[in-house]
Amino acid sequence: MHHQIVRRAGAERETLWVALAAGAILVSAALAVGLRAVPDAEAPLAAHLIDSRTGLTAAEQGLYADLKAAGEEIAALRTAEGRAPTLAELAAEALPPFAADPSAAARGGHAWTFAKTGDGVAYAGVSAAPELAGSLVLRLDGHGADIWLKRAAEAPPAPPEDAALTAAGWKRIVSTFTAGVTR
Amino acid sequence: MSILPNRRLILAGALAAAAMPAAAFAAPAGRRRFGVTLHPYYSYVANIVGDAAEVVPIIPAGFNPHAYEPRPEDIQRIGGLDAIVLNGIGHDDFAGRMIAASAKPSLPVVESNADVPLLPAAGMAARAAGRVVNPHSFLSITNSVLQVATIARELGRLDPDNAAAYAANARAYSRRLRQLRADALTKLATAGTASLRVATIHGAYDYLLREFGLEVSAVVEPAHGIEPSPAQLAETIATMRKLDVQVIFSELNFPSAYVEMIRRETGIRLYAFSHISHGDYAPDLFEREMARNLDTLVLAMAEAAP
Repeated sequence: MHHQIVRRAGAERETLWVALAAGAILVSAALAVGLRAVPDAEAPLAAHLIDSRTGLTAAEQGLYADLKAAGEEIAALRTAEGRAPTLAELAAEALPPFAADPSAAARGGHAWTFAKTGDGVAYAGVSAAPELAGSLVLRLDGHGADIWLKRAAEAPPAPPEDAALTAAGWKRIVSTFTAGVTR
Repeated sequence: MSILPNRRLILAGALAAAAMPAAAFAAPAGRRRFGVTLHPYYSYVANIVGDAAEVVPIIPAGFNPHAYEPRPEDIQRIGGLDAIVLNGIGHDDFAGRMIAASAKPSLPVVESNADVPLLPAAGMAARAAGRVVNPHSFLSITNSVLQVATIARELGRLDPDNAAAYAANARAYSRRLRQLRADALTKLATAGTASLRVATIHGAYDYLLREFGLEVSAVVEPAHGIEPSPAQLAETIATMRKLDVQVIFSELNFPSAYVEMIRRETGIRLYAFSHISHGDYAPDLFEREMARNLDTLVLAMAEAAP
Protein backbone atom coordinates (compact mmCIF):
# COMPACT_ATOMS: atom_id res chain seq x y z
CA MET A 1 0.00 0.00 0.00
CA HIS A 2 1.40 3.29 -1.04
CA HIS A 3 1.40 6.15 1.50
CA GLN A 4 1.99 9.72 0.50
CA ILE A 5 2.15 12.63 2.92
CA VAL A 6 0.37 15.61 1.51
CA ARG A 7 1.38 18.84 3.28
CA ARG A 8 -1.37 21.27 4.02
CA ALA A 9 -1.62 24.30 1.84
CA GLY A 10 0.62 27.09 3.15
CA ALA A 11 3.60 29.24 2.35
CA GLU A 12 5.79 28.84 5.41
CA ARG A 13 8.94 28.05 3.42
CA GLU A 14 8.40 30.85 0.91
CA THR A 15 7.59 33.21 3.76
CA LEU A 16 10.76 32.15 5.51
CA TRP A 17 12.90 32.83 2.42
CA VAL A 18 11.24 36.14 1.76
CA ALA A 19 11.73 37.16 5.40
CA LEU A 20 15.39 36.10 5.26
CA ALA A 21 15.93 38.06 2.05
CA ALA A 22 14.24 41.13 3.51
CA GLY A 23 16.37 40.79 6.65
CA ALA A 24 19.55 40.53 4.56
CA ILE A 25 18.59 43.64 2.61
CA LEU A 26 17.86 45.56 5.80
CA VAL A 27 21.16 44.47 7.41
CA SER A 28 23.21 45.36 4.32
CA ALA A 29 21.42 48.73 4.01
CA ALA A 30 22.05 49.50 7.68
CA LEU A 31 25.71 48.56 7.22
CA ALA A 32 26.02 50.74 4.11
CA VAL A 33 24.44 53.73 5.85
CA GLY A 34 26.45 53.18 9.02
CA LEU A 35 29.78 52.83 7.22
CA ARG A 36 29.21 55.76 4.86
CA ALA A 37 31.64 58.55 5.58
CA VAL A 38 30.05 61.55 7.25
CA PRO A 39 30.70 64.61 5.08
CA ASP A 40 33.17 66.98 6.65
CA ALA A 41 31.51 69.87 8.40
CA GLU A 42 32.52 73.18 6.88
CA ALA A 43 35.43 74.53 8.84
CA PRO A 44 34.73 77.99 10.21
CA LEU A 45 36.81 80.77 8.70
CA ALA A 46 39.88 81.92 10.61
CA ALA A 47 39.35 85.07 12.68
CA HIS A 48 41.25 87.25 10.20
CA LEU A 49 39.11 86.17 7.22
CA ILE A 50 35.63 87.25 6.14
CA ASP A 51 33.39 85.59 3.52
CA SER A 52 32.39 87.82 0.59
CA ARG A 53 29.03 86.09 0.14
CA THR A 54 27.73 86.10 3.69
CA GLY A 55 29.90 88.53 5.65
CA LEU A 56 29.67 91.77 3.67
CA THR A 57 27.06 94.50 3.33
CA ALA A 58 25.53 95.16 -0.10
CA ALA A 59 27.85 98.14 -0.62
CA GLU A 60 30.91 96.13 0.45
CA GLN A 61 29.98 93.33 -1.95
CA GLY A 62 29.88 95.83 -4.80
CA LEU A 63 33.18 97.42 -3.77
CA TYR A 64 34.88 94.05 -3.37
CA ALA A 65 33.89 93.03 -6.92
CA ASP A 66 35.10 96.40 -8.21
CA LEU A 67 38.44 96.04 -6.44
CA LYS A 68 38.93 92.53 -7.85
CA ALA A 69 38.33 93.87 -11.37
CA ALA A 70 40.56 96.87 -10.67
CA GLY A 71 43.30 94.51 -9.48
CA GLU A 72 43.29 92.80 -12.90
CA GLU A 73 43.56 96.13 -14.72
CA ILE A 74 46.24 97.53 -12.40
CA ALA A 75 48.34 94.36 -12.82
CA ALA A 76 48.07 94.69 -16.62
CA LEU A 77 49.04 98.39 -16.46
CA ARG A 78 52.03 97.59 -14.22
CA THR A 79 53.23 94.99 -16.70
CA ALA A 80 52.67 97.26 -19.71
CA GLU A 81 54.18 100.43 -18.26
CA GLY A 82 56.59 99.12 -15.64
CA ARG A 83 54.99 101.16 -12.86
CA ALA A 84 51.79 101.24 -10.86
CA PRO A 85 49.09 103.63 -12.08
CA THR A 86 48.32 106.64 -9.93
CA LEU A 87 44.91 107.26 -8.41
CA ALA A 88 44.29 110.05 -10.94
CA GLU A 89 45.10 107.70 -13.81
CA LEU A 90 42.72 105.05 -12.45
CA ALA A 91 39.94 107.63 -12.10
CA ALA A 92 40.60 108.84 -15.65
CA GLU A 93 40.18 105.23 -16.85
CA ALA A 94 36.69 105.29 -15.22
CA LEU A 95 37.89 102.42 -13.08
CA PRO A 96 35.63 101.90 -10.09
CA PRO A 97 35.90 102.37 -7.16
CA PHE A 98 38.57 104.99 -7.84
CA ALA A 99 36.38 107.12 -10.10
CA ALA A 100 34.49 109.74 -8.09
CA ASP A 101 30.88 109.15 -9.07
CA PRO A 102 27.44 109.10 -7.41
CA SER A 103 27.74 105.41 -6.55
CA ALA A 104 30.97 106.09 -4.62
CA ALA A 105 29.03 108.27 -2.18
CA ALA A 106 26.23 105.69 -1.90
CA ARG A 107 28.81 103.03 -1.07
CA GLY A 108 30.66 104.75 1.76
CA GLY A 109 32.42 107.74 0.13
CA HIS A 110 35.91 106.26 0.41
CA ALA A 111 38.98 108.52 0.27
CA TRP A 112 41.68 106.60 -1.60
CA THR A 113 45.44 106.80 -1.09
CA PHE A 114 48.33 104.99 -2.74
CA ALA A 115 51.38 103.46 -1.06
CA LYS A 116 54.32 101.30 -2.11
CA THR A 117 54.93 98.15 -0.07
CA GLY A 118 57.97 95.89 0.09
CA ASP A 119 57.37 94.04 -3.17
CA GLY A 120 54.23 95.65 -4.45
CA VAL A 121 51.69 98.43 -4.12
CA ALA A 122 48.61 99.10 -2.01
CA TYR A 123 45.54 101.27 -2.52
CA ALA A 124 43.74 102.14 0.72
CA GLY A 125 40.25 103.62 0.95
CA VAL A 126 39.10 105.14 4.23
CA SER A 127 35.34 105.03 4.54
CA ALA A 128 33.29 108.10 5.41
CA ALA A 129 30.31 105.87 6.32
CA PRO A 130 31.51 102.58 7.88
CA GLU A 131 27.91 101.53 8.57
CA LEU A 132 27.42 101.34 4.78
CA ALA A 133 30.84 99.94 3.91
CA GLY A 134 34.04 99.62 5.92
CA SER A 135 37.49 100.86 4.97
CA LEU A 136 39.30 98.77 2.37
CA VAL A 137 42.81 97.95 1.21
CA LEU A 138 43.74 96.48 -2.19
CA ARG A 139 47.25 95.01 -2.12
CA LEU A 140 49.09 93.79 -5.21
CA ASP A 141 52.38 91.98 -5.35
CA GLY A 142 53.92 89.84 -8.04
CA HIS A 143 51.70 86.90 -7.11
CA GLY A 144 48.26 88.46 -7.19
CA ALA A 145 45.90 90.74 -5.34
CA ASP A 146 44.18 90.56 -1.98
CA ILE A 147 41.59 92.78 -0.36
CA TRP A 148 41.21 93.65 3.34
CA LEU A 149 38.32 95.24 5.24
CA LYS A 150 37.80 96.98 8.58
CA ARG A 151 34.43 98.42 9.64
CA ALA A 152 35.82 101.72 10.85
CA ALA A 153 36.85 105.05 9.35
CA GLU A 154 40.46 104.10 9.74
CA ALA A 155 43.60 104.03 7.60
CA PRO A 156 45.53 100.74 7.52
CA PRO A 157 48.89 100.35 9.29
CA ALA A 158 51.98 101.19 7.23
CA PRO A 159 53.21 99.05 5.64
CA PRO A 160 49.93 97.11 5.27
CA GLU A 161 51.39 93.66 5.82
CA ASP A 162 49.42 90.61 6.96
CA ALA A 163 50.55 90.62 10.59
CA ALA A 164 50.06 94.36 11.07
CA LEU A 165 46.63 94.33 9.41
CA THR A 166 45.47 91.35 11.44
CA ALA A 167 46.75 92.87 14.68
CA ALA A 168 44.86 96.08 13.89
CA GLY A 169 41.59 94.17 13.41
CA TRP A 170 41.49 94.09 9.60
CA LYS A 171 40.03 91.02 7.85
CA ARG A 172 41.00 89.60 4.47
CA ILE A 173 37.98 89.03 2.22
CA VAL A 174 37.75 85.57 0.69
CA SER A 175 35.32 84.18 -1.85
CA THR A 176 34.64 80.61 -2.81
CA PHE A 177 33.73 79.14 -6.16
CA THR A 178 32.24 75.70 -6.61
CA ALA A 179 31.73 74.73 -10.22
CA GLY A 180 28.15 73.74 -10.86
CA VAL A 181 27.04 74.62 -7.36
CA THR A 182 23.43 73.88 -8.27
CA ARG A 183 24.09 70.84 -10.46
CA MET B 1 -2.48 59.34 -31.34
CA SER B 2 0.53 61.07 -29.92
CA ILE B 3 2.50 63.36 -32.19
CA LEU B 4 5.36 63.61 -29.72
CA PRO B 5 8.62 62.08 -30.98
CA ASN B 6 9.43 58.70 -29.57
CA ARG B 7 11.92 58.96 -26.68
CA ARG B 8 13.88 55.99 -27.98
CA LEU B 9 14.28 57.65 -31.34
CA ILE B 10 15.55 60.81 -29.68
CA LEU B 11 18.01 58.82 -27.58
CA ALA B 12 19.18 56.85 -30.60
CA GLY B 13 19.66 60.09 -32.50
CA ALA B 14 21.65 61.58 -29.65
CA LEU B 15 23.88 58.50 -29.39
CA ALA B 16 24.40 58.38 -33.13
CA ALA B 17 25.31 62.05 -33.15
CA ALA B 18 27.68 61.58 -30.24
CA ALA B 19 29.36 58.66 -31.98
CA MET B 20 30.11 60.62 -35.15
CA PRO B 21 33.75 61.59 -35.52
CA ALA B 22 34.61 65.06 -34.33
CA ALA B 23 36.51 65.71 -37.55
CA ALA B 24 33.21 65.78 -39.41
CA PHE B 25 32.43 69.11 -37.76
CA ALA B 26 35.92 70.48 -37.40
CA ALA B 27 36.73 74.03 -38.45
CA PRO B 28 39.52 74.79 -40.89
CA ALA B 29 42.88 73.96 -39.38
CA GLY B 30 44.33 76.61 -37.11
CA ARG B 31 41.10 78.43 -36.27
CA ARG B 32 39.72 77.31 -32.92
CA ARG B 33 36.02 76.84 -32.25
CA PHE B 34 34.79 77.87 -28.81
CA GLY B 35 31.27 77.00 -27.67
CA VAL B 36 28.98 79.12 -25.51
CA THR B 37 25.61 78.45 -23.89
CA LEU B 38 24.13 81.90 -23.21
CA HIS B 39 23.84 85.19 -25.11
CA PRO B 40 26.14 87.29 -22.87
CA TYR B 41 28.88 84.68 -23.20
CA TYR B 42 28.61 84.82 -26.98
CA SER B 43 29.25 88.58 -26.79
CA TYR B 44 32.15 88.16 -24.34
CA VAL B 45 33.92 85.46 -26.35
CA ALA B 46 33.28 87.10 -29.72
CA ASN B 47 34.90 90.30 -28.48
CA ILE B 48 37.83 88.42 -26.93
CA VAL B 49 38.71 86.24 -29.92
CA GLY B 50 37.86 88.67 -32.74
CA ASP B 51 38.63 86.95 -36.06
CA ALA B 52 41.14 84.54 -34.51
CA ALA B 53 38.53 81.94 -33.56
CA GLU B 54 34.91 81.00 -34.15
CA VAL B 55 32.24 81.31 -31.47
CA VAL B 56 29.62 78.56 -31.59
CA PRO B 57 26.35 78.86 -29.64
CA ILE B 58 25.24 75.35 -28.73
CA ILE B 59 21.62 76.47 -28.16
CA PRO B 60 19.95 77.93 -31.23
CA ALA B 61 18.70 81.52 -30.93
CA GLY B 62 15.10 81.61 -29.81
CA PHE B 63 15.36 78.90 -27.17
CA ASN B 64 14.88 80.07 -23.60
CA PRO B 65 17.80 78.69 -21.55
CA HIS B 66 15.54 78.45 -18.48
CA ALA B 67 13.38 75.83 -20.19
CA TYR B 68 15.90 74.35 -22.61
CA GLU B 69 16.15 70.59 -23.08
CA PRO B 70 19.17 69.28 -25.05
CA ARG B 71 18.50 68.10 -28.61
CA PRO B 72 20.61 65.63 -30.63
CA GLU B 73 21.73 68.26 -33.14
CA ASP B 74 22.89 70.54 -30.31
CA ILE B 75 24.86 67.70 -28.71
CA GLN B 76 26.32 66.97 -32.13
CA ARG B 77 27.63 70.54 -32.34
CA ILE B 78 29.76 70.01 -29.23
CA GLY B 79 31.81 67.37 -31.06
CA GLY B 80 33.42 70.05 -33.22
CA LEU B 81 34.47 72.38 -30.40
CA ASP B 82 37.93 73.00 -28.95
CA ALA B 83 36.52 74.29 -25.63
CA ILE B 84 33.30 75.57 -24.15
CA VAL B 85 32.72 78.65 -22.00
CA LEU B 86 30.13 78.17 -19.27
CA ASN B 87 28.29 80.28 -16.73
CA GLY B 88 28.68 77.12 -14.64
CA ILE B 89 26.78 78.24 -11.54
CA GLY B 90 23.24 77.25 -12.39
CA HIS B 91 22.18 78.97 -15.59
CA ASP B 92 23.47 76.35 -18.00
CA ASP B 93 23.37 73.14 -16.00
CA PHE B 94 22.22 71.30 -19.12
CA ALA B 95 25.69 71.76 -20.64
CA GLY B 96 27.34 69.17 -18.39
CA ARG B 97 24.93 66.49 -19.57
CA MET B 98 25.37 67.54 -23.20
CA ILE B 99 29.17 67.38 -23.00
CA ALA B 100 29.03 63.96 -21.32
CA ALA B 101 26.82 62.65 -24.15
CA SER B 102 28.87 64.25 -26.92
CA ALA B 103 31.75 63.00 -29.04
CA LYS B 104 34.07 64.99 -26.73
CA PRO B 105 33.17 64.13 -23.14
CA SER B 106 36.52 65.54 -21.98
CA LEU B 107 36.05 68.86 -23.80
CA PRO B 108 37.96 71.64 -21.97
CA VAL B 109 35.54 73.78 -19.98
CA VAL B 110 36.15 77.41 -19.08
CA GLU B 111 34.39 78.23 -15.79
CA SER B 112 33.94 81.93 -16.39
CA ASN B 113 32.74 82.65 -12.83
CA ALA B 114 35.81 81.13 -11.18
CA ASP B 115 37.04 84.55 -10.04
CA VAL B 116 33.70 86.31 -9.50
CA PRO B 117 32.56 87.02 -5.92
CA LEU B 118 29.16 85.35 -6.06
CA LEU B 119 26.05 86.44 -4.19
CA PRO B 120 23.55 84.16 -2.48
CA ALA B 121 20.47 83.27 -4.50
CA ALA B 122 17.42 85.43 -3.86
CA GLY B 123 13.75 84.60 -3.45
CA MET B 124 12.73 80.97 -2.98
CA ALA B 125 16.18 79.85 -4.13
CA ALA B 126 17.70 81.48 -1.05
CA ARG B 127 18.50 78.43 1.02
CA ALA B 128 21.37 76.33 2.38
CA ALA B 129 22.93 79.20 4.32
CA GLY B 130 24.05 81.09 1.23
CA ARG B 131 25.63 78.08 -0.47
CA VAL B 132 23.18 78.26 -3.39
CA VAL B 133 24.38 81.17 -5.49
CA ASN B 134 22.65 83.60 -7.79
CA PRO B 135 23.66 82.49 -11.31
CA HIS B 136 22.94 85.85 -13.01
CA SER B 137 26.50 87.11 -12.60
CA PHE B 138 26.47 88.32 -16.22
CA LEU B 139 23.90 91.04 -15.41
CA SER B 140 26.59 93.34 -14.05
CA ILE B 141 29.39 95.35 -15.60
CA THR B 142 31.98 94.51 -12.94
CA ASN B 143 31.26 90.80 -12.95
CA SER B 144 31.31 90.79 -16.73
CA VAL B 145 34.75 92.42 -16.66
CA LEU B 146 35.96 89.72 -14.25
CA GLN B 147 34.49 86.98 -16.42
CA VAL B 148 36.01 88.45 -19.58
CA ALA B 149 39.45 88.45 -17.89
CA THR B 150 39.06 84.81 -16.81
CA ILE B 151 37.81 83.69 -20.23
CA ALA B 152 40.64 85.50 -22.06
CA ARG B 153 43.25 83.95 -19.75
CA GLU B 154 41.85 80.41 -20.09
CA LEU B 155 41.33 80.61 -23.86
CA GLY B 156 44.89 81.95 -24.13
CA ARG B 157 46.14 78.86 -22.32
CA LEU B 158 44.29 76.65 -24.80
CA ASP B 159 45.41 78.71 -27.81
CA PRO B 160 48.85 80.15 -26.89
CA ASP B 161 49.49 81.57 -30.39
CA ASN B 162 46.61 84.00 -29.88
CA ALA B 163 46.94 84.52 -26.12
CA ALA B 164 48.35 88.05 -26.42
CA ALA B 165 45.61 89.08 -28.84
CA TYR B 166 42.92 87.63 -26.57
CA ALA B 167 44.33 89.54 -23.56
CA ALA B 168 44.50 92.82 -25.50
CA ASN B 169 40.99 92.40 -26.92
CA ALA B 170 39.65 91.55 -23.47
CA ARG B 171 41.10 94.72 -21.96
CA ALA B 172 39.71 96.88 -24.79
CA TYR B 173 36.27 95.26 -24.40
CA SER B 174 36.36 95.69 -20.62
CA ARG B 175 37.23 99.36 -21.07
CA ARG B 176 34.11 99.79 -23.24
CA LEU B 177 31.98 98.00 -20.64
CA ARG B 178 33.32 100.18 -17.85
CA GLN B 179 32.53 103.23 -19.95
CA LEU B 180 28.88 102.14 -20.12
CA ARG B 181 28.71 102.22 -16.35
CA ALA B 182 30.61 105.51 -16.18
CA ASP B 183 28.16 107.06 -18.67
CA ALA B 184 25.22 105.88 -16.58
CA LEU B 185 26.77 107.33 -13.44
CA THR B 186 27.38 110.64 -15.21
CA LYS B 187 23.67 110.78 -16.05
CA LEU B 188 22.89 109.84 -12.46
CA ALA B 189 25.00 112.71 -11.15
CA THR B 190 22.40 115.14 -12.44
CA ALA B 191 19.45 112.98 -11.37
CA GLY B 192 19.70 113.88 -7.72
CA THR B 193 19.47 110.57 -5.86
CA ALA B 194 21.61 107.53 -5.35
CA SER B 195 19.43 105.43 -3.09
CA LEU B 196 16.27 103.44 -3.63
CA ARG B 197 14.24 100.81 -1.84
CA VAL B 198 13.85 98.15 -4.51
CA ALA B 199 11.81 95.01 -5.16
CA THR B 200 12.32 92.76 -8.18
CA ILE B 201 10.00 90.35 -9.94
CA HIS B 202 12.88 88.04 -10.86
CA GLY B 203 15.89 87.45 -8.57
CA ALA B 204 18.32 88.22 -11.39
CA TYR B 205 19.29 91.78 -10.78
CA ASP B 206 21.13 91.73 -7.44
CA TYR B 207 24.55 91.97 -9.07
CA LEU B 208 23.56 94.97 -11.19
CA LEU B 209 21.96 96.79 -8.26
CA ARG B 210 24.96 96.11 -5.99
CA GLU B 211 27.11 98.10 -8.42
CA PHE B 212 25.08 101.15 -7.53
CA GLY B 213 25.00 100.44 -3.80
CA LEU B 214 21.38 99.30 -3.94
CA GLU B 215 19.94 96.34 -2.10
CA VAL B 216 16.90 94.30 -3.10
CA SER B 217 14.28 94.43 -0.35
CA ALA B 218 11.93 91.80 -1.80
CA VAL B 219 11.76 89.31 -4.68
CA VAL B 220 8.23 88.64 -5.89
CA GLU B 221 8.55 85.59 -8.15
CA PRO B 222 8.93 82.33 -6.16
CA ALA B 223 11.08 80.86 -8.95
CA HIS B 224 11.72 81.87 -12.52
CA GLY B 225 8.59 81.42 -14.62
CA ILE B 226 6.44 80.43 -11.65
CA GLU B 227 3.77 82.92 -10.73
CA PRO B 228 3.07 83.44 -7.03
CA SER B 229 -0.07 81.99 -5.49
CA PRO B 230 -2.78 84.44 -4.33
CA ALA B 231 -1.56 84.00 -0.73
CA GLN B 232 2.06 84.69 -1.73
CA LEU B 233 0.93 87.69 -3.75
CA ALA B 234 -0.98 89.14 -0.80
CA GLU B 235 2.05 88.61 1.44
CA THR B 236 4.34 90.26 -1.13
CA ILE B 237 2.07 93.31 -1.40
CA ALA B 238 1.99 93.60 2.40
CA THR B 239 5.80 93.26 2.55
CA MET B 240 6.29 95.98 -0.05
CA ARG B 241 4.03 98.34 1.87
CA LYS B 242 5.84 97.56 5.12
CA LEU B 243 9.28 98.09 3.57
CA ASP B 244 8.08 101.24 1.81
CA VAL B 245 9.47 99.97 -1.52
CA GLN B 246 9.81 102.77 -4.08
CA VAL B 247 10.52 100.84 -7.29
CA ILE B 248 9.80 97.39 -8.73
CA PHE B 249 12.06 96.02 -11.45
CA SER B 250 10.41 93.49 -13.73
CA GLU B 251 11.69 91.64 -16.78
CA LEU B 252 11.26 92.76 -20.39
CA ASN B 253 9.09 90.54 -22.60
CA PHE B 254 7.38 89.23 -19.49
CA PRO B 255 3.83 90.56 -19.36
CA SER B 256 1.96 89.29 -16.37
CA ALA B 257 -1.32 90.04 -14.70
CA TYR B 258 0.17 89.70 -11.24
CA VAL B 259 2.85 92.32 -11.95
CA GLU B 260 0.11 94.73 -12.99
CA MET B 261 -1.90 93.82 -9.87
CA ILE B 262 1.08 94.65 -7.62
CA ARG B 263 1.55 97.96 -9.38
CA ARG B 264 -2.16 98.77 -9.09
CA GLU B 265 -2.42 97.73 -5.43
CA THR B 266 0.72 99.46 -4.21
CA GLY B 267 1.08 102.36 -6.63
CA ILE B 268 4.81 101.61 -6.83
CA ARG B 269 6.58 102.55 -10.09
CA LEU B 270 7.45 99.60 -12.33
CA TYR B 271 10.45 99.36 -14.70
CA ALA B 272 11.71 96.44 -16.80
CA PHE B 273 15.26 95.13 -17.21
CA SER B 274 16.53 92.88 -19.98
CA HIS B 275 17.65 89.42 -18.90
CA ILE B 276 19.82 89.26 -22.07
CA SER B 277 18.52 85.84 -23.06
CA HIS B 278 16.49 86.69 -26.17
CA GLY B 279 17.17 87.47 -29.82
CA ASP B 280 19.99 86.63 -32.18
CA TYR B 281 23.52 86.05 -30.96
CA ALA B 282 25.63 89.12 -31.66
CA PRO B 283 28.99 90.47 -30.47
CA ASP B 284 27.39 93.77 -29.44
CA LEU B 285 24.24 92.31 -27.89
CA PHE B 286 25.55 92.49 -24.33
CA GLU B 287 26.60 96.12 -24.69
CA ARG B 288 23.28 97.12 -26.25
CA GLU B 289 21.17 95.35 -23.65
CA MET B 290 23.27 96.49 -20.69
CA ALA B 291 23.18 100.09 -21.94
CA ARG B 292 19.40 99.80 -21.97
CA ASN B 293 19.40 98.29 -18.46
CA LEU B 294 21.60 101.08 -17.16
CA ASP B 295 19.37 103.72 -18.79
CA THR B 296 16.38 102.07 -17.10
CA LEU B 297 18.12 102.14 -13.73
CA VAL B 298 19.09 105.79 -14.13
CA LEU B 299 15.52 106.67 -15.14
CA ALA B 300 14.13 104.84 -12.10
CA MET B 301 16.53 106.62 -9.75
CA ALA B 302 15.84 109.99 -11.36
CA GLU B 303 12.05 109.59 -11.16
CA ALA B 304 12.28 108.49 -7.54
CA ALA B 305 14.33 111.54 -6.60
CA PRO B 306 12.50 113.87 -4.22
